[in-house]
This record gives sequence, structure tokens and C-alpha cells, in this order.
Amino acid sequence: MSQEVAAFKLVLVGDGGTGKTTFVKRHETGEFVNRYNATLGVEVHPLNFATDCGNIRFDVWDTAGQEKFGGLRDGYYINGQCGIIMFDVTSRITYKNVPNWHRDLVRVCENIPIVLCGNKVDVKERKVKAKTITFHRKKNLQYYDISAKSNYNFEKPFLWLARKLAGNPSLEFVATPALRPAETAIDPEVMQAMQKDLEEANAMPLPDEDDADF
Amino acid sequence: MSVDFNTLAKQFCEFYYQTFDTDRSQLGNLYRDHSMLTFTGTQHQGAQAIVEKLVGLPFGQVRHKISDIDAQPASAQGGDVIVLVTGELCVDGDNPLPYAQVFHLIPDGSSYYVFNDIFRLNA
Repeated sequence: MSQEVAAFKLVLVGDGGTGKTTFVKRHETGEFVNRYNATLGVEVHPLNFATDCGNIRFDVWDTAGQEKFGGLRDGYYINGQCGIIMFDVTSRITYKNVPNWHRDLVRVCENIPIVLCGNKVDVKERKVKAKTITFHRKKNLQYYDISAKSNYNFEKPFLWLARKLAGNPSLEFVATPALRPAETAIDPEVMQAMQKDLEEANAMPLPDEDDADF
Repeated sequence: MSVDFNTLAKQFCEFYYQTFDTDRSQLGNLYRDHSMLTFTGTQHQGAQAIVEKLVGLPFGQVRHKISDIDAQPASAQGGDVIVLVTGELCVDGDNPLPYAQVFHLIPDGSSYYVFNDIFRLNA
């Protein structure tokens, strides 16, 4: 039985070591059929999700680490239809670089839905606290705390992007994608506290505009 | 010069990448104060600045795999050698990235140093 699938190129960016590859490899169907394009230095992971509006596939572009040598080529961004910018909540510099990634992404892909993800929230020594994460509010991005290793909030960025791309804010996923087993777990109390911190941070006024990007 | 430039280029590259992949802080000895490295578009002058750049690259594991080495004499008087290397490198267990690198080697006593070093990823 063949079924129509809406496919979208998703550009995944962020500093090296923030967990982009670990994150995208959590999705098992994606992992099963990923392909590496050696000319572009890109591995495209097709991630399928079943929604109440039909099937959607994110073709997630992941680098082979070229961001560790400098910027990414325009070819990485071209025809991107949505994006995820990732930083590591245990490394302040990776959050400081978020505006640079955002600038590079929107320079090529104007007006695409973008999610900002703070990864590694399972690590106890969190350095980038919820109240310091404000960049997304100035640029109309969505933000999620995630933990690739524990699968925490794995689906959230994709659901938000699917809703934006479909133009349907009430779209829902109707099946849970197969994820690799969690390698670590987050205490439910800690999880609740993180969610509360985020809610409080979102209710705060934005910091002074003098400091344009923070 | 008594040393064949192709042999020199091959020996140099083997030494250079082996050092790079095991402890790149040791590469400073190969450069001088007037040496220049252009690394994916940014210039670094002098052995100290060059080694700082290389050591500061944000990856742990790195492995170079040479595909081809081409060399030519680089001055009419003989001695200098220019080397073009193409190959692949893997960082931190990621997929291989194609790269190209040019070395301009200058004789210095019984040895050689790197006067120019130009590196580019091809992806």
C-alpha cells in the first residue's frame, strides 16, 4: 500500500559536540535507512511521523563535523524548509554561538520555522539556565529543553515544525515513533522543576534590547 | 638537492599527519615565525599562532587518510618543494570529510620546514 508522504528538508545546525548526531540517530526508522553523501559531507536521515493529517517525513541534514573547521557551505542550507538549532546546556559558549547559527541559517533560508533546542538537560551540572535562554523569544523561534540520551522531548521539535509546515496548530502525531532505548533517565521531579523554570522564564520581560542578541 | 622531491613529500606527509592525529601540539616545530597557515579561509602567521589554531580546533579524535600526494620543485635554484595532498579525514567518529592541503617546504640545514600551509575541506 503506497501512501502520500509530505517531505521537508530539515537543516540541523549548532556547534560541534552539542549532540546533533546523537539526537537525530534516536529515531530508529531514520537510523535504519540513513545515507551519507560524501561529496556534500552530509548524512540525510529520513524521519517519518504519522499525524492525524497524514504522514510527514523530515529529511534531516546532519554534518560530518565540518562546523568544527569553520562555517558550513551554503549548499547545506539551500532549499531548507525548516530548521533546528542545537546548543548544549552544559556549555555556555554553544549558547553564545546560537545567534551566529541563526544568522547563517536565515541568510539562506528566509522565513522558515526554526526550533531552538537546549540538549543534555539530563546532565546535573547545567550551565545555561532557563532564564538566560531568551534568544528564541526575540526571533520568534520555539524553544525546547531536550535530552537526546534519555529521549526527553524528542518529538516536540518535530511536532512544532509539523504544525507550522502544515499550517495547522492542532495537528497531532497519531503514533509514537520507534526510538532507541534511553541511555539515561531524568527524575520526574527534576523534569517538573525544569518545566516550571521554563514557564517562569517565558513570563519574564525580555532583557534590554541594547544587548541585541542576548 | 640529493633528496628526491616525491620521496620527501611522501615522508613529510606521513610524519605530518601521524603527528597531527596523535598529538597536534607537536606540529609547532615544523613551522617558523614567517610561516603562514590558511585554514578554511582564515590566516595564521608564525609557528605559535599556527599551533594555537591547530590545538584549539574543537575536536578530540582525528584521523587523516591520504588519497594522493603530488609534489614539484618550487624554486629554480632547487630545494623548495610544493606538495598537494588530497584525502579524507574523520573527526570524533563522524563520517569522512574530503579535504585538500598544500605545503610549501623549505630546506633548513638537513631538514625542512613548512613555509606555507593551505588547508580546505572539500565539503
